[in-house]
Amino acid sequence: MVKLEFHDPSGALEVTQPHAPRLASLEGKRIGIVSNEQWQAYRMLPMLKEMLEQDFPGITVLPIDTFPQGNALIGEEHTAALVKKSGVDAVIVGNAA
Amino acid sequence: MKNAVTGIGLAPDASMVTFPVNMFLPGSDLTSLKQRKREFYDGLIHWKSALAQEAGSTRMLAVEGASYEEALTRANNLLLTNLWGDGLPLWPATQERVDWILRGSALPRTHVLGKFPPRGGVTTVETCAIALAMAGGRPEYLPVLVAAVEACFDPANGFDQLQATSGAPFPAVIVNGPIAKQIRLNSGFGLLGPDPQRPAGASIGRALRLLQQNVGGALPGVGTMAIFGAMRYTNAVFAEDEDGLPPGWQPHATTRHGFAPGTNSVSVVFASGVTNVRRRGAKKETPEEDALNGMWRMADFMRTPNLAALAGWEKGTPGMMMIAPIVARRMAELGWTQKSIRDFLWENSKIPMEQMRRAGAPAWIEIDANPVTRDSIKLDPWPICMKPDNIVLVVAGGGHPTHSYWLQAHSPSVQGRVIRVPETFDRLLANADRDLGCGEDACRV
Repeated sequence: MVKLEFHDPSGALEVTQPHAPRLASLEGKRIGIVSNEQWQAYRMLPMLKEMLEQDFPGITVLPIDTFPQGNALIGEEHTAALVKKSGVDAVIVGNAA
Repeated sequence: MKNAVTGIGLAPDASMVTFPVNMFLPGSDLTSLKQRKREFYDGLIHWKSALAQEAGSTRMLAVEGASYEEALTRANNLLLTNLWGDGLPLWPATQERVDWILRGSALPRTHVLGKFPPRGGVTTVETCAIALAMAGGRPEYLPVLVAAVEACFDPANGFDQLQATSGAPFPAVIVNGPIAKQIRLNSGFGLLGPDPQRPAGASIGRALRLLQQNVGGALPGVGTMAIFGAMRYTNAVFAEDEDGLPPGWQPHATTRHGFAPGTNSVSVVFASGVTNVRRRGAKKETPEEDALNGMWRMADFMRTPNLAALAGWEKGTPGMMMIAPIVARRMAELGWTQKSIRDFLWENSKIPMEQMRRAGAPAWIEIDANPVTRDSIKLDPWPICMKPDNIVLVVAGGGHPTHSYWLQAHSPSVQGRVIRVPETFDRLLANADRDLGCGEDACRV
């Protein structure tokens, strides 16, 4: 038998930070939405905001335009800092495609 | 999405709700969003990463066969089933082959070049050597590949977005300096395609593509949404024909990056298409008319609302115009300079705002992230880039006057890097002469 050994070409991955812990519940929480303004986000994200507000008493979902919008802006450190400063408990990011 | 999260150091999964693409089109039915609202809520409350511990270093794979032929076939099958191939035969990156390729490095094999976006695979010199080994490369090609990867990684490129976008930009790597001839990189006839006498560009470009896919995660339909994805077997890796530059003209690397003539360097433009321009006249034009008509035809091809090029409107490029050396020389004899050619193309590729409005183009300008680009909406006619110097002008191609080549761009910047070669480079070139023939023009068909 001939044996061929060769490198996995995919490169190592480094996990350097954990995903954010989930919330115990959504009641009374403050939720932010970060929109890339693409792919019908202007219709879908307000609908999501409305559903959350209907289904969870005391929840606060910040207006869609609270944070910078658009593909080029939502990944910036400045946007992340604004999200942190806003004191939200969780963030929904959309829409990817 | 996995690429996006691993690229910032998270485990390779995420809390997300996915829908068929129809949901994301204008006028779509959003009923299913309501029906599946619990999935959004669960994502905020219950979701847990199933892959939190997944990480680690590269590993070795193994196959066996009754013969070398069978083992090789199984190795190729394994690479494809792991989604690491491109459909063409690959050399398995054995330790022996990778060590051979690494003779071309001026850097240690463990030297980290960066994390390949968007997936974030750690990219070392060895990672590049593995890709080059698979692509059929040789040691003397490695310095060019490493420099090209470094140029791609420059933050000004926004390479993560270029990798993932539906518009399918591909790296076009222009090589300047003596290394181009030394490693048999094509600058003449058919330079963007296969050439058995000048095979370097195919291997280097293919290796870069394999890195983009395997390490960077640009897998079609998953990690790259490139709808068409042309030029992605080998990208475009070629040399400028510096011998063909008219007197007084400077190499691209000098005009764009300020590298001294004779410096080995790469310059990376992200192109999104290639267009042939029939430049030469057909009847009894004077030399002056032939040159001017050709310039108008090139400008006419450039005068299009290529909205992907907005990303490079201020600092990048709307594209690369390649003119053949014989055309450059004739034009220089008529008084044209690199500057006057760029000035002409810039001035005469401006688009009347009425046409921009007809095409819905102003909306894309209005949402551009760059305020300088947004401000350009006031200009009528609208220039396809901020200034003539944005246009990349390269002298390359076969010794024939009929055509020019326009590579439209999606290139937020144009990055140059100096190529570093090992002290033993001359020995590698001698080995190439031994393996491939002498490599001089006299040896060529």
